[in-house]
Amino acid sequence: MAASAVTAVRGWSGLLLGVRSVVLRLPGLTQVRWSRYGPEYQDPQIDKGYYRKPLAALTEEEKYERELRKTQVIKAAPATRTSSVFEDPVISKFTNMMMKGGNKILARSLMTQTLEAVKRKQFEKYHAASPEEQATIERNPYTIFHQALKNCEPVIGLVSILKGGHFYQVPVPLADQRRRFLAMKWMITECREKKHRRVLMPEKLSQELLEAFHNRGPVIKRKHDTHKMAEANRALAHYRWW
Amino acid sequence: MATPSLRGRLARFGNPRKPILKPNKPLILANRVGERRREKGEATCITEMSVMMACWKQNEFRDEACKKEIQDFFDCASRAEAARKVRSIQEDLGELGSLPPKKLNKLLHRFPNKPHVS
Repeated sequence: MAASAVTAVRGWSGLLLGVRSVVLRLPGLTQVRWSRYGPEYQDPQIDKGYYRKPLAALTEEEKYERELRKTQVIKAAPATRTSSVFEDPVISKFTNMMMKGGNKILARSLMTQTLEAVKRKQFEKYHAASPEEQATIERNPYTIFHQALKNCEPVIGLVSILKGGHFYQVPVPLADQRRRFLAMKWMITECREKKHRRVLMPEKLSQELLEAFHNRGPVIKRKHDTHKMAEANRALAHYRWW
Repeated sequence: MATPSLRGRLARFGNPRKPILKPNKPLILANRVGERRREKGEATCITEMSVMMACWKQNEFRDEACKKEIQDFFDCASRAEAARKVRSIQEDLGELGSLPPKKLNKLLHRFPNKPHVS
């Protein structure tokens, strides 16, 4: 019923094909996040390598796909997505999650300061260490960031399920996206709440990232607490219906 | 089993006996069907989960020690998710069993039951 209302409304608007009018005011269905693009719009291809491939090297499928893209409508690429070699989707996502009130400049500067702080700490350790230890010290802040977030990802999650008038925490497998989101969310929450007011965010974040990289620290502890809760409630797994 | 017969069940002038059925609404087919009853699902990947948790208990919840079990659990979860997606698409297209109720209702709206003659 909601879908047919949307399609009917789209037919009424005399605007460009695919732009949705905002007339979906059914009581239980307030959309909080939607895009103005219809389903026929394709995502933009940012990767330069895709376009640099010589025509001779393309397979039949790729040639067909290129021809098809010429006929399709494509969304505008957001300003944050570039074809630069320095772009990292994980860093972009983390920056967006740190952003408050749309202040992307501040969030991005905090992110770069964090990476710089991580690099500085690691270089200090490197120069203070003996040659055998120097081989084991990781100095690239991007690898440290990625590995730290990977270490923080929970394997299994808990979901509140209502049964017999009570809410039970039921262990449930999580999708990859959800696990990555939880790792980032826990990291940011931990750094925001458990820091002294005089300590700046990059300093605290760099400290937490380095600890998570070595599988120590409060975020890893939170992950282990989740696992322990899931293990304790494993009998309730049958409350799931999916 | 065939539809039970309506002959001599209702209270009409030509019917000598007591009425067997006393319907409160007229016995006319409506132009819609009811919603499908949601199928009772069951929890997936329980065995992989319990194997992984047993490994955790033995190794103090360290993830490096239980890599194989964790990978099996993830594979099971992704397989279950894919199966669920396929099933929901099949349900919408109506490949398993009958058409979904929304499509049936659309069809019935186009070709409604005619209780009147003209």
